[in-house]
Amino acid sequence: MSKIEKALKKAGEDRGKPQLVAAAAKAGRTAPWTALVGQQIEPLETISRMAESEHKLLGAEELWARGIIHPEQNKEPAVQVFRELRTKINQQSQGQNAVILVAAVSRGNGASFIARNLAAAFAFDSAKTALLVDCNLGNPSVHQLIPNASLPGLADYFENPEIAVSKIIHPVGIARLRAIATGRLRENPAEYFVSMKMRRLIESLRERYRDRFIVLDGPPMSDIADARILSELSDYVLVVARHGRATNAQIESGLSAISSSKLLGIVFNDEPRIPWLR
Amino acid sequence: MQMYPEQIANALINESFQSRRLIVGAFVIVNVVMLTAGLLWPKSYTGSTSIIVDEKSIMEPLMKGAAVATETADRNRNVREVILGRSIMGKVLERAGWLADHPTALEQEGRIEQIKARTTVTPVGRDVIKIEYRDSDEKRTLFVTKTFADLFIQEMIAQKESDTRSAFDFIDKQAQEYQQKLTAAEDELRQLRSSNLDARPGTDIELSARLIALNTRIENTTTELREAEMKHASLERQVNGEAEVTVLATREAQFRARIAELQAKLDTLRLTFLDTHPDIVQLKHQIQDLRAEASAQRERRDKAKPSDGVETDETVVNNPVYQQLRRELSQSRLTIDTLKARIAEAQRLLQEEVNRGKGLHSGDARLVELTRDHQINREIYQDLLHRRERARVSINMDSDRQSSSFRILDPATASFSPNAPRFWQFMLGGMVLGVLIPVGLLFTRLQFDPRVRLATAISERHKVLVAAVVPHLWSPRELTGLRKELAILALVVTATLALSATLSVVRFLGVL
Repeated sequence: MSKIEKALKKAGEDRGKPQLVAAAAKAGRTAPWTALVGQQIEPLETISRMAESEHKLLGAEELWARGIIHPEQNKEPAVQVFRELRTKINQQSQGQNAVILVAAVSRGNGASFIARNLAAAFAFDSAKTALLVDCNLGNPSVHQLIPNASLPGLADYFENPEIAVSKIIHPVGIARLRAIATGRLRENPAEYFVSMKMRRLIESLRERYRDRFIVLDGPPMSDIADARILSELSDYVLVVARHGRATNAQIESGLSAISSSKLLGIVFNDEPRIPWLR
Repeated sequence: MQMYPEQIANALINESFQSRRLIVGAFVIVNVVMLTAGLLWPKSYTGSTSIIVDEKSIMEPLMKGAAVATETADRNRNVREVILGRSIMGKVLERAGWLADHPTALEQEGRIEQIKARTTVTPVGRDVIKIEYRDSDEKRTLFVTKTFADLFIQEMIAQKESDTRSAFDFIDKQAQEYQQKLTAAEDELRQLRSSNLDARPGTDIELSARLIALNTRIENTTTELREAEMKHASLERQVNGEAEVTVLATREAQFRARIAELQAKLDTLRLTFLDTHPDIVQLKHQIQDLRAEASAQRERRDKAKPSDGVETDETVVNNPVYQQLRRELSQSRLTIDTLKARIAEAQRLLQEEVNRGKGLHSGDARLVELTRDHQINREIYQDLLHRRERARVSINMDSDRQSSSFRILDPATASFSPNAPRFWQFMLGGMVLGVLIPVGLLFTRLQFDPRVRLATAISERHKVLVAAVVPHLWSPRELTGLRKELAILALVVTATLALSATLSVVRFLGVL
C-alpha cells in the first residue's frame, strides 16, 4: 500500500466509516452476492474509501463463491495456473508493470473470468497491485465486483471531463486490487477506445503507480476494431479460448487481429477436470 | 491431429466427466434397451439329428460303365432338396400342428419358408448328414427334428425303390429294344445271303487269290513264250548259215588260198621295195608256181566228172548239223504255238474272274455293315441282359429292405441353441455397450468437433504458445451440487446394474 493511500485512509477514518448493506435489492446489474456497498461517497473521499476498504476484504470462501481465486486455495489447480501465468508475465515484463489485454476469441469464452483472476493473482504479491479495467462494453462484468454499481466508471469518465481518473477506480474487496467498471453506458459507446482520452487514461493509469499491473477485460475478438485498438494500447495480449466453445476458425481470426509481438499466448479456459483428482 | 494414447485417455476422462449426465443417460438407456431385448428375444432351442446316408444311387452300380454317377456336391444338394422339399415339409406342417388353425395356402407357404430358414442340413464327412432345426419351443423342436429324420429316411427309401424300379424298367426296355434290333439285323443278313450266294464272308479274299494266281500264270507263260521265240529265231539264223550239203576242201582251193596269201604279202612288199628286190622276185616265183599247180589240179578234176551230168563229186555229202537244226526248229515252233494257246486261256479265265468280282463287291459292303451291326447289337444285348438280372435282384433286395443304407446315427435331441444370444450376453453387452457407445461418441466428438477441446490442438494447429490451461474453477456451491449430482448418477448406475442382476437371477431361475 502506498503512503498516499495510508494517509488518505487515516483521513477517512476521521470522517466515519461507510455503511455495509446488502446490495441485492439495488440496481439490476448488481450481483446478488454483492455485499460491500458504500452508499454515498464524495468524489474527494474516493481514494480514502478505497484505502479503507482494505480492511473489509472478502474472505477466501467468499471469493471462491464468486469465482475468484485466493492465495489460500493453494491446492486449487486454477490458483496454481494463474500464479504461473502471472509469473510468466512478470518475467516477460522484467518486473515492470504492464498493461495486459485479456480478450476472448468470441463471446462466452470467459475472458472476464481470466482477466479478473489474473488481476487477483497479480494482487497476491504484496509488493504489487493490480487494476482491472472493464473494456468489454458489450457485455460488462466488472461492476459485479464493485459494491455500488452506481459508482462512476469508464463511460462516465469519457462523457464527463470533470471526473478525475481517481474517481472511477474502485476497490473490490480484494487486497491490492482495484477495478474500473464500464459505468453508465451510452447507446453507442463504440468510439471510446479510439479517442485520445483512452490512450491518456491508460498512460495515466500506468504512470500512476509503477507497481500496478493493469488488466484490461477486453471485448471478444469478434469485435475486431475494439480488440485491435485495445491491443495497440496494451503491452501484452492474452487470447482466451474456452474448451468446447472456441472454434479453430475463431482462434485463427482472433490471432490475425493482433500483433504477434504482443501476443503472450492463448489461455485455454475451463478445461474440464474432476475436482478431486489433482 | 496426432494424439498420444495418454493424451487421448486424459482427454476422454475429462470429456466423460464433463458429459457425465450424457454418459450415465446413455448407459441407462443402452442397458434398458439391451435388457428388454434380452427379455423379448425368443428363446431358441436347437434340435439336431444325424443320419448315415450311403447314398450311392442304385443306378450307379447297375449302370456302371454305361452311365456317370452324380458328384458329392450334387448329392448334398439333393439331400437338402429332399428334406426341405414340399413333400416332407407338408407332412411336418401337419404333424407339428401348424395346420391346426387351417391356414390359407399362402400362410402355409410362409410357414414353410420360416421352417426352412430355421433348418440347416449339413453334410458331416462323406456319408453323414446332420439336420438341425431351431425353434422357440423345446418339445416342438425335438418333435420336428425327429419327424424330419423319419420322413427323410422314408422318403429316401421310397425314392430308392422307385429308382431301382425305374432302373429295371429302363434296362428292360433297352434290352427289348436291342433284341428287336438284333432280330432285324439277323433277318436282313439272311436275306442278303440268300439273294447273293457269293455273298459270304471271305469271298473277296478268295477271288483276289485267284486273280493273283491267274496273273502269275500269264506272266510265267509269257516269259516261257519269249524264251521259245528267241530260241526259234536263233535256230533260224543257224539254219540259214549252214549249207544243206558239205563241200570237202580240195587241193585247188588250198592252192588258191595260198596264192591269195602270197599275193597280199607281195602287195605289201611292193609298197616298200622295187620289183627287183629279191623278196619280191621270190614271191612272184612262188605265186607262179602255185598257179601252175592249181591249174594242173583243175584239169585233173574236170577229167574225173561223170558224163551223165549227175554230180558225183566225191567232196559233196549231206550236212548232219543242218539236219539237226531243222529238227530243233520245228520243235520250237510247236512249243511257241502251245504257249500262245495257254496264255490266251489264262487271260480268258482272268477276265471271267474280274467280271465276277465286280458283281460281288456291291453285295459285300452291305454284308460287312450288317455283320458289324449285328455283332455290336448282340454284345450290348447280352450286357443288358446281365444288368437286367442284377436290377431284378436289387428290386428284390429293396422290397426286403436288405439294401437300406439310411439309418439314424444320432437320435434327435433338443437343447438351448449354442449360437443363440443368451440373456446374460444381453446383460453384459448392455454394460459394455453402455460404456463404449457414449465414450465412442465422445471420442468421435473429440476428433471431429470444430470446437477446440484440447490445448495441444491449439498449439499444434495455430503454431502459437498456450500460455495457460485453466481448469474449471469449482465454486463451493458448484461442488456441493456436483456431489449431489454424482451421488444421484451413481445411484442411477447402481439401480441399472441392480436391475440387470435381478433380471439375470430371475431369468436364471426360469421365472421369466
